Amino acid sequence: MAKSFKEALESGKFVVTAEVGPPKGVEIEEMKHHINLLKDKVDGLNVTDNQSSVMRIGSLPVCKLIKEIGGEPILQMTCRDRNRLALQSELLGAYILGITNVLCLTGDYITVGDHVDAKPVFDLDSALLLQVIKGLEEGKDIAGNELKGNPTFCKGAIVTPEANPIEPQLMKFEKKIKAGAEFIQTQAIYDLDNFKKFMKYARKFNVKIMAGIVLLVSAGMARYMNANVPGIFVPKDLIDEMASAEKGKALAKGVEIAGRMIKTLKDENICDGVHIMAIGKEDKVPDILEAAGIA
Amino acid sequence: MIVAERKPFEDIKAMIEDYNKILVVGCGECVSVCMAGGEKEVQILASQLRLAFEEQGKEIEVDETTLERQCDKEYLEEIKDKIDDYDAIISMACGAGVQFLAEMYNNKSVYPALNTCFIGVAEREGEWSERCRACGDCVLAETGGICPVAICAKGLLNGPCGGTNDGKCELSKEKDCAWTLIYNRLKDLDKLDNIREIFPPKKYSAQTTPGRRIHEAFKEKE
Amino acid sequence: MEGECHFLEGNLRAKMWVTYTKGLLDEIGIEPERLKMFNLSSSMAPQFKEAVEEMIEVAKKLGPTKIQNKAA
Repeated sequence: MAKSFKEALESGKFVVTAEVGPPKGVEIEEMKHHINLLKDKVDGLNVTDNQSSVMRIGSLPVCKLIKEIGGEPILQMTCRDRNRLALQSELLGAYILGITNVLCLTGDYITVGDHVDAKPVFDLDSALLLQVIKGLEEGKDIAGNELKGNPTFCKGAIVTPEANPIEPQLMKFEKKIKAGAEFIQTQAIYDLDNFKKFMKYARKFNVKIMAGIVLLVSAGMARYMNANVPGIFVPKDLIDEMASAEKGKALAKGVEIAGRMIKTLKDENICDGVHIMAIGKEDKVPDILEAAGIA
Repeated sequence: MIVAERKPFEDIKAMIEDYNKILVVGCGECVSVCMAGGEKEVQILASQLRLAFEEQGKEIEVDETTLERQCDKEYLEEIKDKIDDYDAIISMACGAGVQFLAEMYNNKSVYPALNTCFIGVAEREGEWSERCRACGDCVLAETGGICPVAICAKGLLNGPCGGTNDGKCELSKEKDCAWTLIYNRLKDLDKLDNIREIFPPKKYSAQTTPGRRIHEAFKEKE
Repeated sequence: MEGECHFLEGNLRAKMWVTYTKGLLDEIGIEPERLKMFNLSSSMAPQFKEAVEEMIEVAKKLGPTKIQNKAA
């Protein structure tokens, strides 16, 4: 990894990030395999933070592990499990470990996960978390106390371009930018026409936009997401294309579609990069990149 | 009002089955209105307990009374003379009433019959919904009279999370997204500017301390 | 008849409360079948007789409870 994620963002190149999901338990060989496989092919590796409110290894230690292996980690931080003290101290801790890319999220609600009786924290929200980081960079904690030595971070956030209704979502998007977001990774997008409309709006702001690409593994998954995942819309022609795949070839079709979308996004200069979420199929990310012509 | 619901019968019965003489005390305020702990519910619970114990061949005496409210000493004092006739008390008030009753009669075992749920309103007969978390730092002026602390599951102050869909919450298709409601209300009122700026972090100190309020007129003056 | 109560929606409300009360009985270990609501008008004596007989059969089939009527 020659460049830091921040340098990659600022270089104007088409930036690519992928995702590492820490396991539940201490068996990390598979995750290390994925890190090794991806670290030199992408500009950054997001590490999820108790994704879907399911308890796993934390984001920070895995970011450190990526750093040791030679990759560029992006620390995902949700506001679900930590109050403002814990978030700030973890940010300072991340900085001294050399982890300086942070993606700020509100976090899924507790009850969607595997510890439904846990106390939901949500002391801050994603916009406030960004603002807190800006404060730390300026040498002040959220309570206004002086820091002894300021960190600097590359701050990111997310947006859901397919949200319905979209207006409140965009209002929050603008708050995130005001709060200092330098990059935005979007929720999964499949409808490029709609995404172009979003980009026409988003280009007004000084922020790098990376389109979220979630690998489709079957037509059933696409239909499931349409029905159950807020803010994800897979158009009918893509579902039909997935369904048309020969038996046993659906995953390959999904890789082809993801690759094609990334290529279009890059060639038509629609956005600044992509964030590939290959949930459970991380070993397919190199194939997706090859299909996109970014290998 | 404070909205509560009765605990499962089995749980209430298990709390008091080792006693011989029980007094079930209802509350005539909020929990009466929300059909959880008023006079009628006291009658139902006491009847159920009597029937259930008799069916089991157990001799437990269960008496009933309902006070004007249990969050005021003057009403709690009404049972002063008879309280010693009982081994245990079941309070059908909200958590505040149960505690005040237990505090006043601190040599008695006092058991709660209700789970106190929230501060809310009557949507229609028999249905209530949450409106207030008693956070001590009201934001309703900015949010068009819709509370993001109480109605948004995550209590977010800066707009919706990504889980919102078609105006509903990620928790349930039955639950409205507070921020969609807020956005729409402020748009109708032409007050969207209220929520364009980042809302500062919530002052949770207002909620946790001191847990006591003295009316201005009652404060000791120099 | 159901929904055609002299007191407008009275028998629908009664039905709701009867269902609720059956639940209360069930909670304390008394068979909910011991309670049933019949919609009858004042001119339906034969049907009333049938209903009474039906409930007598239910009571006979379930047998006595231990409750001696001093409780409730």
